[in-house]
Amino acid sequence: MTRYIVRRLVAVPFMLLGISFVLFMLLYIRPGSAAFAAIGSVGDADPRAFENFEKRFGLDRPWYEQYGDWLWSALQGSFGERLTPPHDDVMDDIIEVLPNTLEIGLLTIFLSAVFGISVGVLSAVRRNSILDYAFRGITIAGLSIPNFWLAILVIYLPALWWGWTPARQWVVFTDDPIYNLSLAIWPAMTLALASAASMARFVRTSMLEVLYSDYVRTARAKGLRDRRVIWGHVFRNSLIPVITLLGLQLGAVLGGVVIIESLFTVPGLGRLALEGVTDQDYTVVLATIMFFSFVFVIVTLIVDIMYTVVDPRIRY
Amino acid sequence: MSQEQTTVQDNEGVAEAALALEYAIPPRQRFNPFKWARREPFGALGFALIVIVVFLAVAAPVLNTSPPNEFAVGPPLESPNADNWFGTTARGKDVWSRVLFGGRISLKIGIATVLIGTLGGTLIALLSAYAGGAIDFGVGRLADMLITIPGILLALVLHSSISADLPDLPGLQREELYLVIAISLFFMPGTYRIMRGVVLELREATYVEAAQVIGSSSFRIMWRHVAPNMFGLMIVITSISLPAAILTEASLSFLGLGVPIGGLDAVPSWGADLSGSSRRFFSVAPWLAVFPGLALAITVFGFNIFGDSLRDTLDPRLRGRI
Repeated sequence: MTRYIVRRLVAVPFMLLGISFVLFMLLYIRPGSAAFAAIGSVGDADPRAFENFEKRFGLDRPWYEQYGDWLWSALQGSFGERLTPPHDDVMDDIIEVLPNTLEIGLLTIFLSAVFGISVGVLSAVRRNSILDYAFRGITIAGLSIPNFWLAILVIYLPALWWGWTPARQWVVFTDDPIYNLSLAIWPAMTLALASAASMARFVRTSMLEVLYSDYVRTARAKGLRDRRVIWGHVFRNSLIPVITLLGLQLGAVLGGVVIIESLFTVPGLGRLALEGVTDQDYTVVLATIMFFSFVFVIVTLIVDIMYTVVDPRIRY
Repeated sequence: MSQEQTTVQDNEGVAEAALALEYAIPPRQRFNPFKWARREPFGALGFALIVIVVFLAVAAPVLNTSPPNEFAVGPPLESPNADNWFGTTARGKDVWSRVLFGGRISLKIGIATVLIGTLGGTLIALLSAYAGGAIDFGVGRLADMLITIPGILLALVLHSSISADLPDLPGLQREELYLVIAISLFFMPGTYRIMRGVVLELREATYVEAAQVIGSSSFRIMWRHVAPNMFGLMIVITSISLPAAILTEASLSFLGLGVPIGGLDAVPSWGADLSGSSRRFFSVAPWLAVFPGLALAITVFGFNIFGDSLRDTLDPRLRGRI
């Protein structure tokens, strides 16, 4: 067990190294040069300005020098200067916005776990009832509604009907926790619909598989109460695949924040990444996406380790 | 004595017949769509929705539409009425026309990406599983890395890196080509992982070994024993990926990374119509926000429930798993 965890931990830096290399090469071969995007947008087309710009940010050097430099400073906790004004260190921006994205992400996972698991369990326990059919219809519909469209509806329809709309501004949690939560709940609920839906479907299948197993029949035969059978025997054993999904859902949620943060004007990692793409600022793109991958890699690792806690049969 | 013998022989005969019955390959049943529809009503509904969506997209020019980019077809920001069934935009474009024509790009990109992603992933899985060694390891790790980057973000990186460099192909504009590459690349690692497992499993399967022992040619083994097991799974993966691909196209177009949106050669797209300049008018003209999104949701819903039933029919082992 310890050996397995150590082996997985050792693999993490190699994984990140590989990801950074792939991303760097993808961004390095980009045709529209960062200098052109940065200076061209200011309206100055002087070729010497381009040269100066490239020199200043070291863009005129061969790729291996640039990548080596980037790697070296990344190891020291700096992801390089932004190519676009205000030319500050990207790391500072990321540290500023990361808590907001994590807050929305965790809130989303929490909401989808609560709603997804309860709907899934109810669906499985009352299999083929009206409730089950209704839930199955709703969950598939939930999977089919694009999150950005849902966000638009959430923003504009209440405004039309009741003259009220979720406030599109942001305060950080530490300044005013209650107001912050009242703002964060909207993007989180928008993102949670799809992941709660897939969670519910998954829990239902997983529960049904266990519901008809021999040990559940034994538990019923020895006269255990229904509640105890469902929660003590069925639910616990159906949790294992659900935990995998919870980890995978995070990937979908991280992808979703890119759009949702912009719509709800949340200063987060996703919005920063999108800004980087629009400004062709590759230091921002590289750094933000490295962070997304980092979170994903770590969560996957935690999920794999959690397996052993939920299911003692799994030993690495 | 002889009577006894016949009884024994009879018993053996019966046992043999029973055994033969049990292990006999059932006669190939012809697929009956009506029977299937009765067993899978949701799947039938999904299929009906898909047929309707495809019909509307293909037959758009003859369905009370105007050219989707034409200005001033009606008065600006008119609510839905007898002439403009879904209302008009701020520039007097007909929303009904834009919704119908918008289905074309969704279906085109969706089908292209899923075909390329699934076939590509499968092919890479086959080759790398057979090559083994360092190649297999390298491809596997590359897939591991790509999987950790959420699809939209990978598409963002690709937009910065390759989008401007791509050529216009016949029937496929540069921006469309970018969408196809970005989205199919997103499906490849997952397909690769599943398919590689299947290839390795099938290679060791008892029935493949048995086929080898009785002297089947490798082509026959591939065609009769390995391929059918992969083919069902490929259809299943396709049916899961297609709605996701359509959603991804819409998301990218919504972010302004998709098809060109300005000008007369603009491609109408549901995602793009929900973004950008039209968003300013959503509070006064909600039909602008509702109809393109509804079309998108219905299309994805149709593919989702059809794919769900297809999965149950083709591979019961996967029920609810993917």
